[in-house]
Amino acid sequence: MPGRLVHIVLPVAAIAAVPAAVLGAQYLTVEQAQKSAFPEADRFVPLPLRLTPQQAESVTKATGLRVRDPQLRLWIAMKDSRILGHVFVDEVLGKHEFITYALAVSPAGGVLAVEILDYRESYGGEVRDPQWLRQFAGKTASAPLKLDDDIRNISGATLSCRHVTDGVKRLLATHDLVVRAH
Amino acid sequence: MTWSSARTRRIRPLLGTFVEIRLDPGGRGDGPGDIDAAFAEIEAVHRLMSWHEPGSDVSRLNREAAHHPVRVDARTWNVLCLAREMSEASRGLFDVTVEPWLRRFGILPGEVGDELFAATRGDYRDIELLSGRRVRFTRPLRLCLDGIAKGYAVDRAVECLRGRGARAGAVNAGGDLRVFGPRPQPLHLRDPRDACRLLPLPPLRNEAAATSAACFARSGTNCNPILDPRSKAPAPARSVTVIARRCAVADALTKVVALLPKPGGCLERFNARALVLEPETAAPA
Repeated sequence: MPGRLVHIVLPVAAIAAVPAAVLGAQYLTVEQAQKSAFPEADRFVPLPLRLTPQQAESVTKATGLRVRDPQLRLWIAMKDSRILGHVFVDEVLGKHEFITYALAVSPAGGVLAVEILDYRESYGGEVRDPQWLRQFAGKTASAPLKLDDDIRNISGATLSCRHVTDGVKRLLATHDLVVRAH
Repeated sequence: MTWSSARTRRIRPLLGTFVEIRLDPGGRGDGPGDIDAAFAEIEAVHRLMSWHEPGSDVSRLNREAAHHPVRVDARTWNVLCLAREMSEASRGLFDVTVEPWLRRFGILPGEVGDELFAATRGDYRDIELLSGRRVRFTRPLRLCLDGIAKGYAVDRAVECLRGRGARAGAVNAGGDLRVFGPRPQPLHLRDPRDACRLLPLPPLRNEAAATSAACFARSGTNCNPILDPRSKAPAPARSVTVIARRCAVADALTKVVALLPKPGGCLERFNARALVLEPETAAPA
């Protein structure tokens, strides 16, 4: 289809190493995530429990997931003397990505919210090849565009969010086995 | 009244991927509340159309629609109607009934038992769309809407934001994205040879982009989860990006273009454009 389809052959040859950069953003602070999950809370009481090796093992046994860091970042959401729930902050490290997230849990152990606080991908750089861009001659949007380096609208699969869902599973088991009984 | 001069971005794990919603300053509405409402739309699409959720409309259809008509939510109905239009426009290249084959090839989990073999003989024409948003299968069938529902969720989120007075922003669900607002916005494509590198593309303005999940496996094995509904063979290892006004359309068209790089009148009919990246094939040893 002239004009509607652009067809490009890419050499599959090894890509020369480029300096790694970081692509990412901070989305929320811990405080913003706490307030967003429990808007009626009047305070968040820190509960920085450290899991004993036995507790960590029982979490691993229940979930099949390793506990990388026995130190919990945990707060109790309170209103007057009532416990509204708990907020965990955890981080997961994938092959290319580093993600900090907050998990809000109800007193019964159910997920109230998951919010990403910080998301960073190792990023090999943008291809800046004039020949590449020439393929799109005439297809650029007509208005002059000042590229905001901070915005990257990226099409193509994100690296997996499996690590975050595994993290949530691990934290729910931790809540069930350790926090509720505390 | 404008709520903030700062840009707001949130990202949540949903639809099996990360969904980012970004609002630019200058709109009406309350910013964070608008983003929460938009995420709620995405969660609703997930609950209704996820193949993995036993309570979803898709699961109910797969269990019951061959036995009696099943009434579905208006959103599921909209997706089924669009899927039908896409199937007819592509002469069956887009077909939501290839699910048993996705299981057979391990792309979706689960055993392929007798009931699934029975479901492999139908195609999209065996889905009957009846009045009152009821759906019936004229023979045993299994649906999977993953190839279009993610794009539809993005559209719902954008429409929600605009309806609440947002002036500009973007929704990106794992690479299926849509931007809105008066200014063109940059677009990059993940390099299919290396997901950490980005290829710049012409900017988008009030449009959506979707990219098929292909990988250029050096070993020569084809890991493409897009199947040709006619031959059941995997599509060639190509990276396909489609740009259209609606993300659901872009999402669905990636499957058509992946299977047939000269996709007949489909691109024209939906006023879409496509970019196909093909690996250079090595000379045979």
